Amino acid sequence: MIFINKIHAIFNTFSNKNAFCIKNKYYSYSEFYSQIFSISKKIEIECKNQQRIGIIASDDIETYAAILACLLTGKTYIPLHPHQPSDRIQQIINQAGIEYLLSKSTDYSFDGIELINIENNGEEVNNSVLKIPDESIAYTYAYILFTSGSTGVPKGVPITYRNLDSFVEAFFALGYKHNEDDRFLQMFDLTFDLSIMSYLIPLCIGACVYTIPDTGTKFTNVYSTLEEHAITFALMVPSIITYLRPYFNEINLPHLKYSLFCGEALYKDVVCEWAKCVPNAIIENVYGPTEATIFCLTYPLNNIEELEEYNSMLSIGKPMQGMEAIVVDENKNQITNGTKGELCLFGLQLTPGYLNNERNKESFFELNNKKYYKTGDIAFINDKGNFLYCGRVDHQVKIQGFRVELSEIEFHLRKITNDINLVVLAIGNQNGFNQLFAVFETEMQNMEHIIDDLKQKVPAYMIPSEIHFVSSFPLNSNGKTDRNKLKELIQQSK
Amino acid sequence: MEDQEILEQVNKLFTKILKKPNVVLTYETTAADVDGWDSLTHMMLIDSVEKHFAIKLKLMEVMKLNNVGDLVAIVKLKTTK
Repeated sequence: MIFINKIHAIFNTFSNKNAFCIKNKYYSYSEFYSQIFSISKKIEIECKNQQRIGIIASDDIETYAAILACLLTGKTYIPLHPHQPSDRIQQIINQAGIEYLLSKSTDYSFDGIELINIENNGEEVNNSVLKIPDESIAYTYAYILFTSGSTGVPKGVPITYRNLDSFVEAFFALGYKHNEDDRFLQMFDLTFDLSIMSYLIPLCIGACVYTIPDTGTKFTNVYSTLEEHAITFALMVPSIITYLRPYFNEINLPHLKYSLFCGEALYKDVVCEWAKCVPNAIIENVYGPTEATIFCLTYPLNNIEELEEYNSMLSIGKPMQGMEAIVVDENKNQITNGTKGELCLFGLQLTPGYLNNERNKESFFELNNKKYYKTGDIAFINDKGNFLYCGRVDHQVKIQGFRVELSEIEFHLRKITNDINLVVLAIGNQNGFNQLFAVFETEMQNMEHIIDDLKQKVPAYMIPSEIHFVSSFPLNSNGKTDRNKLKELIQQSK
Repeated sequence: MEDQEILEQVNKLFTKILKKPNVVLTYETTAADVDGWDSLTHMMLIDSVEKHFAIKLKLMEVMKLNNVGDLVAIVKLKTTK
């Protein structure tokens, strides 16, 4: 595996250089390696060399060492978010078949799980060399991430070592100019795959990873890290610069060389203003679902005067090396004349399929002997061969960069309320952010306990910010609840 | 304006934004203490505080806000200038 070999070489070459800066404390590559080594021993002995290892994903060096201990030895890691409801974590544990959970904190307890403490208590580790796995791990899962699923059960997306290695190879083929003196921003939850680029790529080149504190508000933390540490490479979700926009005239980040955006639509006007804050940076819009490993299309904003856009959402560009993208119509026939259809992906970065086979039938299909993944995103190709994103096919929305199935929230609310008819709507507010609204088809009643119950089931970003009551839902011509009419009603009532 | 008065007014703005009538802020309250106080509500809060008190905060000032007490202090400083 290219990335495993690269990281191993870095540990030898740059042992005294800093690998991480977490909560303003630096950790050198040699310190990091010691921790990786000691955790890999724990996996071998205490986890009885099980293939799938759960990791409570916190912002500390032990968590990163645990992830690398898995990746450098051919294990499969499953990151679990410490602030997510325990019900949801338990569902993930059951689906992924995890028996051992690595954690620095001993505050957790789950059914059928043995917690392995990875806190580094300063003991000297007798370092020898980690055994590097050979190419036979290519089709082994490197990690499994869980995204929102419409049936109320999180969807498990496994990514193989070959998928991940293909991403690393394709990333380096983009030709970015970076070296061991670069400073990379890591602003993502470790359950979000954009985090993997943010720490794995710097570790492949001997650069330093700067994480952001998990207290306070994210956009101020991101900005202070960019500024204080003169970050040179930053992958962010577009909402960060939307939040910072009122202060653009105070922002000047001359050190930033690369400013990448992913996870949500990137709007032309805000990014053009951002360009003035980062005078020396190359800005790129990158795109890709978790199913196709981190990201797989890129659009460099070479000429700010001639940007390609649709409804002011910037193009997502062209596929990276090893990936193919096509647009298909409702009958899964390829569209080549530039009209809109569903964006589908094929290639080295594509997951072999969801953990739950049922899901695979609706999400993957064969065309010309290739297995394509239907992204659920609507797109078209322009005359320059660039893809333009136009919106979602289904009821999936992005909240703070997280993929959210509205039907998953509806599923839980219906269960909690014993089947009161309801819909959950995402409505963009004046700042361009999606806000969630739960609308019940019933007379007004106190629903506070319902929100409390929902918090036990889904993460905070999936909790509706407002509840509305409508005595009877408007229907469309097919007799279905007319979501657009409901949206209008809600907006008028505000 | 006295600190207590500013705190009460900020509290009113906040209950409106969070749509939670029962939120009681103290000088020591931080974002972590209040359900739903995230980047989005933070920005909406700053925006409504700026409009309500007819002041404008700089990015550095927004970044230094660690708790509600810091917010009250900056509002006091800016409104007495």
